[in-house]
Amino acid sequence: MTEPVLSIEHLSVDYQIASGVVRAVDDVSLTVPSGRVVGIVGETGCGKSTLAQAIPRLLPEPPARIASGQVIFRGTDLVRVPARRLPLVRGTGIGMIFQEPLNSLNPAVKVYDQVAEAVLIRQWRDAGILPTFRGGPNPFDYSGRPLPEAAQVLSRPILPGGPAAERARRRLPGRLGVRREVLDFLRLVRIQDPETILDCYPHELSGGMRQRIMIAMSLSERPSLLIADEPTSALDVTIQAQVLTLMKELIDETQASILFISHDFGVIAEIADDLGVMYAGRLVEFGPVADVFRSPQHPYTKGLLRAIPERYKSEGPLAAIPGSVPNLSRLPPGCKYHPRCPLAQAVCREDPPPELTRATAAVGETHRSACHFPEGVAGLP
Amino acid sequence: MVDPARTPRETPAQAPVHRRVPGGRLLRGYYRVLRANVLSFVGFILVVAIVLVALLVVLAPHLLVRYGATQETGVYSGAPTLFRWPPSFAHPFGTDGSSLDLFSEILLALPLDLGIALAIAGFALLTGGSLGLIAGFFDRPGTVEGYASAVILRTTDVFLAFPSLLLGLAIVAALGPGLWQVMLAILLTWWPYYVRLVRGEVLAVKHLPYVTAARAAGVHEWRILLRHVLRNVLEPVVVYFTLDIGTVLVTFSTIAFVIPGVVSYPRPPEWGSMLSFFNLNYAISQYWWEVAFPSGAIFVTALAFSLLGDGLRDVLDPRTRRAMVESVAAPSPPPEAPELGGPAATSPSPSASMPEGM
Amino acid sequence: MGRSPGDLAIFVGRRLVQLLPVLLGVIVLAFLVTHVAAIDPCPRWYPKASPSTLALCEAQFRAPLLNQFARYFTQLLDGNWGTSQLGSPVLPAIAADAPATLELVLTALLLMVVIGIPLGVVAAQYAGRWPDHLVRVLYLSGWATPTYVGAIIAVVYLAHPLGLPMSGDFGASPPFAQRTHLSVLDALLAGNLPFAADAVGHLILPACVLAFINMGIATRMTRASMLEVLPLDFVKSARMKGLSNVVVLYKHALRNALITTTTVLGVTAGELLAGTVVVEEVFGWPGIGAYAFQSMGGTGQPNFDGAIAVVVIFALGVVLANLIADILYGILDPRVEWR
Repeated sequence: MTEPVLSIEHLSVDYQIASGVVRAVDDVSLTVPSGRVVGIVGETGCGKSTLAQAIPRLLPEPPARIASGQVIFRGTDLVRVPARRLPLVRGTGIGMIFQEPLNSLNPAVKVYDQVAEAVLIRQWRDAGILPTFRGGPNPFDYSGRPLPEAAQVLSRPILPGGPAAERARRRLPGRLGVRREVLDFLRLVRIQDPETILDCYPHELSGGMRQRIMIAMSLSERPSLLIADEPTSALDVTIQAQVLTLMKELIDETQASILFISHDFGVIAEIADDLGVMYAGRLVEFGPVADVFRSPQHPYTKGLLRAIPERYKSEGPLAAIPGSVPNLSRLPPGCKYHPRCPLAQAVCREDPPPELTRATAAVGETHRSACHFPEGVAGLP
Repeated sequence: MVDPARTPRETPAQAPVHRRVPGGRLLRGYYRVLRANVLSFVGFILVVAIVLVALLVVLAPHLLVRYGATQETGVYSGAPTLFRWPPSFAHPFGTDGSSLDLFSEILLALPLDLGIALAIAGFALLTGGSLGLIAGFFDRPGTVEGYASAVILRTTDVFLAFPSLLLGLAIVAALGPGLWQVMLAILLTWWPYYVRLVRGEVLAVKHLPYVTAARAAGVHEWRILLRHVLRNVLEPVVVYFTLDIGTVLVTFSTIAFVIPGVVSYPRPPEWGSMLSFFNLNYAISQYWWEVAFPSGAIFVTALAFSLLGDGLRDVLDPRTRRAMVESVAAPSPPPEAPELGGPAATSPSPSASMPEGM
Repeated sequence: MGRSPGDLAIFVGRRLVQLLPVLLGVIVLAFLVTHVAAIDPCPRWYPKASPSTLALCEAQFRAPLLNQFARYFTQLLDGNWGTSQLGSPVLPAIAADAPATLELVLTALLLMVVIGIPLGVVAAQYAGRWPDHLVRVLYLSGWATPTYVGAIIAVVYLAHPLGLPMSGDFGASPPFAQRTHLSVLDALLAGNLPFAADAVGHLILPACVLAFINMGIATRMTRASMLEVLPLDFVKSARMKGLSNVVVLYKHALRNALITTTTVLGVTAGELLAGTVVVEEVFGWPGIGAYAFQSMGGTGQPNFDGAIAVVVIFALGVVLANLIADILYGILDPRVEWR
């Protein structure tokens, strides 16, 4: 079994606010195997975006803080990497797509320049002109090993000049090559006649087009892991379908590993291989997506699935989960879900919240749930 | 002139909300606002101290001021005269060329200078603010009010073209020297800034849903303006006013410095004319205290108000407040829901609300 | 997309046309100040004039207002901007001194941009922590210092220890022809490096004083718009491309933040010009500001025509700066339509 691309172990993220400390992500552990799509689903405020942005350490450090845990990306714990080394991991290591494509493209820069910048970064890293990230236990230690050319560049100040850099630069395609590659990636995301949009600014294009450009920009750096933070939530339903189809095809073509965040079960069902459900900062269920849909092992998941309005159903009110999402600074004791749970017993309130462990015997090894009574879920209406 | 109406300041969802808070919570809210920033709190303490000292000088001068402007310092044994005596224990700021104790002079000038600055800024706020309210709210072209608004705006543009110091100097040159003339001159140059500020604020608030709702409910236009729009305009205006006090003070003293004989010294004592008088008549480097202490007084006062105003502006300007949430401890939950602001959220709009002319 | 070079001409042209009413208003206001608001001006402005001159002066002021304005306006257009008490015409004197002021103001502006804007970026980057507080104390101190205090302190206490000269724009009369009358530029064009260094030495301290006092405007605005821009997603996107922090801040974020900063160019120009009145006088810099200071009676020779002329010139300068700011904004912000 190949090593997973991403392995999050007991990650906790705290926010410092005026009235104290709030734990937005609480002891989350999950793995993204190579070449699989892992979806994270949850309501607004459950911590999924925080989790997504904590992985490449994108959260602003003063109010946010990684309290504990490890984020192991290709063998390196990103939590331990010093801040000035982080740009090496991002881009060619981890890429990210954001929700609001108008905000996530630089409004003052033309489309061509933005995509070309990403292409150039990848080209220069491949050629060794820019330092890049090499996975492994300690990627920045080259003692006792014959240095590959990129590592020689890495241990030198990054200035042009010298035989290695010169040879590397001659391998670069040049400006026409960059343009060709930009057009290739724009066509990869199914943009017709990409030459016409090269000189456009983001605000002149539609939302679906902007999102495709974002995807092209991320993919052009060929990341090992792509994090998609609600990429379709801001799009119309029809455009959403187009972008999802595009992403599925790209997954087949590039064998990328994706961590896909969404609040929409339908979207997740389309695209994910594995599914994790988050509630109040904790991962309450995790498993293959079909298994989770067919036999959820946590009452919250069951409640969410039941609340999806079914087509053509015209009788009775919508089934909603009673109560509301708790305020993260005033969490209930024990299991965070117990005030709203139909299966709640005394142990749910008194004991510490349950760990994400093997669920009932009826499901496979990989399907886990954080509930004291997973066998009762099947019997819920 | 960049037109503040060209790009909207922010979408309705992010605009300031009309708050009606009972007194106690309001005061605590403002206190927390002050405490949010170390510098603004320092400024606040300094301002309070300065105002208290000014009040003391006016109401009970004998507590702080040992030698009034009418008193001579008297003759000390051993020293024939105290003409231009350096700082000493008896005269902490030294004495000047008229044998007057500088410490007393500076303290006596404090309420006057503070009062002048407050008066000028206050009148500018009232006149400019009223005009700005009208110009911002009643700007439908083709109506009488619309025409008046256009006239107000064009006039304001013309006034704004003159640097305030220079226009003030020109008006003083026209009117002749004297305290009231200088105050009037500065007032005439200052009101346009408030017109632009208030107008920008009104424009931002004017199209909010609750204003439209009030109009639909049949509320009269003037009532909408005074009851609903005015409340939301007040906060940034008060902040700007606080900053302005320091600026007016500096401008006033500069005019007193440039034009000789504007405010005759020693009566009434005033910091700017202290410097001008000394500058004209005496060498500076030999008698450093005559320059240092009056300018120090101006500097400290202006700095105090500027610290307070600048710190307040950070907290009360909705744009920077939202942005500061990301970077410092602030009373707000972690950013989970992504910002759904439309184009206005990304467009760095020209500062319609806070003309950065400080 | 409405942003071709031809469209730019239309954009600039439209702004220029919008200038005209403001220009007219400036002249009208200057007229009002000098001819309407003035209280018994003649004996004050011309204290040494003969009685017949005084009578002539007062007769002019009794004429109907419109006639006065017509005469004033035509005089301006003719180039007759009045004379000083000794009879030397104002306009040529101002024209001769103007380049020196231009040099001073442009240098101060350059210093403000080069120092003030990065300070604003740093303050926004570390918002709420000690670098932010330090920057804020720095620019607020500059703002709270009256110009003359700053100038005097610089002359008396900084010039000597730093070995800088205390007045003028050249130590001795320059041996080359002054073509642009911009001291540093002239020396460089003439290839005379020692004089160029001398010119820089004379220029640097007054420019620094002007820049320090007015730096707050640019720093404050940069900080505010950076704070607005930094939380936006495209900054995160830029980081996720693998760019270093410096590149993200200065190439991506600042590019957007600077758009708003250009809007304060007009105010900045006004404050800089106002500051030259005192700074030039204290430093002995031969510019319009010193001329204005002396005209206001600072040295006992009031020259009312000269004073008003300088005020009008400065107002025109501010209007021009606002125009440039408006055009810059239209160029930098891709969302502004030019047509």
